[in-house]
Amino acid sequence: MSGHSGLPAGAATARRPRRAGRPGGRDARAAAGFVLPFLAVFALCYLAPVCYAVWTSLRRTRRTGPLGLGTEHDAFAGLANYAQALADDRFLTGFGRVLLFGVVQIPLMTVLATALALLLESAAARWVTFFRSAFFLPYGVPGVIASILWGFLYVPGLSPLVRIAQEVGWNVDFLSRGSVLWSVANIVTWQFTGYTMLVLIAQLKSVPGELYEAARIDGASAWQVARYVKLPLLRPALVLTTVFSIIGTLQLFAEPMVLRPLTSSIDSGYTPNLHAYSEAFVGNNQHRAAAEAVLLALVACAASFGFLRLVGGRGKERG
Amino acid sequence: MTPFPRRTRTGAAMPTRAPVRHRIIIGALLATAALYFLAPVYWLVVSATKNSADLFGTFGFWFSDHPRPLRYLTDVLTYDHGVYARWFANSLLYAGVGAVCATLLSAAAGYALAKFPFRGRETVFGLVLAGVLIPSTALALPLYFLFSALGLANTYAAVLIPSVVSPFGVYLCRIYAAAAVPDSLLEAARIDGAGEARIFAGLGLRLMGPALVTVFLFQFVHIWNNYFLPLVMLSDSGLYPVQLGLTTWIGYADRQPVLYQYTVGGALLSVLPLMVLMTVLQRYWRTGLTEGSVKA
Amino acid sequence: MTYESADSPRGGVRRRAVLGGAAAAAAGLALAGCGDDGDAPRERRKGQKITLTFWSWVPGIDRPVDLWNRTHPEVQVKVEKVSAVNGEQYAKMHAAVKAGNPPDLGQIEFPVIPGFLLDGGLRDLAPLGAARHRDAFFAWQWRQSVFGSGIYAIPQASGPMGLFVRQDLFDRWGIPVPRTWDAYEAAAEEVRRHGAWIETFAPTNGNRFAGLAWQAGAKWYATHGDTWVVHLDDAPTRRVADYWEQLVRRKLVKTIPDRRDAWYKDIQTGAIPAWVGASWGDALLAGNAPGTKGKWRAAPLPQWQPGGRAYANWGGSTTAVFAKASYPKDALDFAVWLNTDPGSIALLLQGGYGFPSAKAGYTATALDADKDFFGGQPYSRVFADAGAHVDTSWQWGPGVDTLFQRLGDAFTDALADGSSFRSVLTKVQRQTVSDLRDKGLKAESGR
Repeated sequence: MSGHSGLPAGAATARRPRRAGRPGGRDARAAAGFVLPFLAVFALCYLAPVCYAVWTSLRRTRRTGPLGLGTEHDAFAGLANYAQALADDRFLTGFGRVLLFGVVQIPLMTVLATALALLLESAAARWVTFFRSAFFLPYGVPGVIASILWGFLYVPGLSPLVRIAQEVGWNVDFLSRGSVLWSVANIVTWQFTGYTMLVLIAQLKSVPGELYEAARIDGASAWQVARYVKLPLLRPALVLTTVFSIIGTLQLFAEPMVLRPLTSSIDSGYTPNLHAYSEAFVGNNQHRAAAEAVLLALVACAASFGFLRLVGGRGKERG
Repeated sequence: MTPFPRRTRTGAAMPTRAPVRHRIIIGALLATAALYFLAPVYWLVVSATKNSADLFGTFGFWFSDHPRPLRYLTDVLTYDHGVYARWFANSLLYAGVGAVCATLLSAAAGYALAKFPFRGRETVFGLVLAGVLIPSTALALPLYFLFSALGLANTYAAVLIPSVVSPFGVYLCRIYAAAAVPDSLLEAARIDGAGEARIFAGLGLRLMGPALVTVFLFQFVHIWNNYFLPLVMLSDSGLYPVQLGLTTWIGYADRQPVLYQYTVGGALLSVLPLMVLMTVLQRYWRTGLTEGSVKA
Repeated sequence: MTYESADSPRGGVRRRAVLGGAAAAAAGLALAGCGDDGDAPRERRKGQKITLTFWSWVPGIDRPVDLWNRTHPEVQVKVEKVSAVNGEQYAKMHAAVKAGNPPDLGQIEFPVIPGFLLDGGLRDLAPLGAARHRDAFFAWQWRQSVFGSGIYAIPQASGPMGLFVRQDLFDRWGIPVPRTWDAYEAAAEEVRRHGAWIETFAPTNGNRFAGLAWQAGAKWYATHGDTWVVHLDDAPTRRVADYWEQLVRRKLVKTIPDRRDAWYKDIQTGAIPAWVGASWGDALLAGNAPGTKGKWRAAPLPQWQPGGRAYANWGGSTTAVFAKASYPKDALDFAVWLNTDPGSIALLLQGGYGFPSAKAGYTATALDADKDFFGGQPYSRVFADAGAHVDTSWQWGPGVDTLFQRLGDAFTDALADGSSFRSVLTKVQRQTVSDLRDKGLKAESGR
């Protein structure tokens, strides 16, 4: 198996096709025609905002006039906004929280999705289409709606789940300080397990059936086929979905935002994204918010690349 | 990826070999999982038949004494001059138009990146990859100031333009094009005197079909689910997509308790079509989804 | 019949002079220039048709606006409903001001007006002759948007605070309706003995906490020369903090968020039989707990001094004209009409928007819109009396939204880790001073 390292490996392989003898001018013109429309919008919606955010993050507001209510102007502030963001306990706690969330939720969801994929693809499964649709269905529910929906299932006094739990003598509070993070994790798991599962199933189906057949003829049990043939095959797809999960986790926003009014356990800096949002919109401090957004993007890139490095390295050792 | 019809046949033959005990265990596991995934949806369906008082007053997993699904869902559609229908149409517009444009742009860019060795190609591709990794919520605020300066804030374009960019789509298309569009075919077309645009439209797009379906669906769901961008960009409620409208409803539900019931009914209506779409299009998802990892 | 003026006793002239003096030095000079940059305001030609946009979240606001649109064909007003969850509406307005595309008019609460002045977001209405409408409104509410010689909004409604109780439950349990905070605590113990909770102390509700501190005599903001003085950690506020802390620690009150799903459920079932609320709470209770109709009564806010008459305000909002409004004159006309026209006030009262800031144009009957819900009690008198005795020297400062959020976060922490409510005050005081400095203002802690 070559190139199991996921995303960036694509860059290396795609370089392969090479054509000789074409006049460079025509190539370049045609290529420009194809790439430029995308690049133009990409520059407008990605590059420009990133530059603007970096620029904003390096400045701060100064005021003059009585009580400072006079004219305001922006001045260069160096890295002061970054220093302040990094000195803000709530912001750092938010990072710690999403890291904890990611370390627990991503493996859990991945294991669940893998198990479901293998079960559905096992020979003994019945009603495969029904189950697959049922598992995949929550992916079509937007995060905000899912949170409103689960919110009703969490609020004590309203939630049928809490009531059932109390009937059997279990006094559960989904929205308490200790549990609310896992209640958010549950919403995310509910939404994205089916999607992850589908990616994995696609990967399994992309492998010639003879491979499984051969393993069976060699006397492997269903469990052994799953464990020693199918699971290793899933590796590239697992890398892909994990990277998406890492990015998604660091961006956590809608779920805590929607649950926040329902509980006294979610503060304004519950996740880094929520913190930046509060800083920008409630505190009206665009400069600090920009610095936080930049830090968040850096961490997301570092975490994703770090993860790819990690699995890429191991892949080579094994290969 | 082409499906393997033969495998399906062998797959169908296999269950006879699996012991009954296995089948029961696996069935039980799958049923438990299905219960987990479907229970909230079931709650939603049940709750959409209740008014606000019953929503608070009756057991969530069972119907009230007088369920009136049609009446309440009609109320949702007619409330505030039918603003819900408008939100729904907006969502379809953003997701539909946005996803089609995103697919075409990604296809062209990915095709060029795969098939034309031009200077700066890897730089462009590197930028695109970084784009995949940048949290899109981090971009929303600077984007808002930028669009305001351009006079685009609070317009359809404010949500549509950012929606047509899909770095992941470009990534997928490049990898797929590299593998699925043979150079020899392109050469042949060129020798026949076809222009590059025609080759792309006639040959490239067709060969990249499965990847394009995936990019389209991926982007459709992405736009449909996007909350932050419209939240920041739009102030005119006539431009809202569904989920933004629903959060506004729940936002002043305590002043107008009937809005609890409308929010729940509206949530069900908004979820239904996408669920149908998901179920129907699963097959297409499957064919293209893994290209990113498999083709590598 | 017009309602008795809540402002007439103990005339505000001297107080106004004092307050005006403090703010004038501060704001007057500087703010005069705020509305002048940007798009040049235009004078509407006779017969010219224009459309103004108005951001609001008040339910039913479209009805008076419809009435205006029917009677004023040349100046059409378009309402955009903005979400009021977690202060989202102000977030949007600040962003729009910053981006240079705010609406013409906005619904803005008293506490956040100074924050918008900092942005230069609001238009000074004084040059447009707004001052001549002053006498139509209760003076202390009018003053909420007066800074120096500038007038920055037209008051719409206030929220004098009071106590709502389930009279039937209190009677059944033999608990007298508390008149003092000591009695309130005793009532809380008694209610707890019957398995219910008298109240919730919602840690994230900084707005109500401010009201309670206000009642106790706190002054959170003041100005000293060029400097904003923040005094959150003063004796009256500490008293309020200590009081609620021990109610929380003794588990006599819940700590769930108020006015949300779980709280409404408790209100419906009687698990929470009382609420320290404000005049606009009548519509909330009647709308969300229709099953308890006839069982509620309104009572005056409990007092620190037996027989005292110290009251405070929670909420209260204005109609403001944004600095970029193209036709400020017409926007002002609409704002004044919305909040003084009898037809408009009648429709607003039906929607349950609060206690009118206008002195005239409505009847006591209209104020008691939910009389049946309160068992026939003419409950608006309770709030009218409270409104007449609100300590009007309270002043809001810039960055109140942040302050509320900081308070909410710090109380949330305190509930979780058991740190004292006094430490919350110290911490938020420190943070608020530093927030104001971050905004480029001069700020210091009060002593």
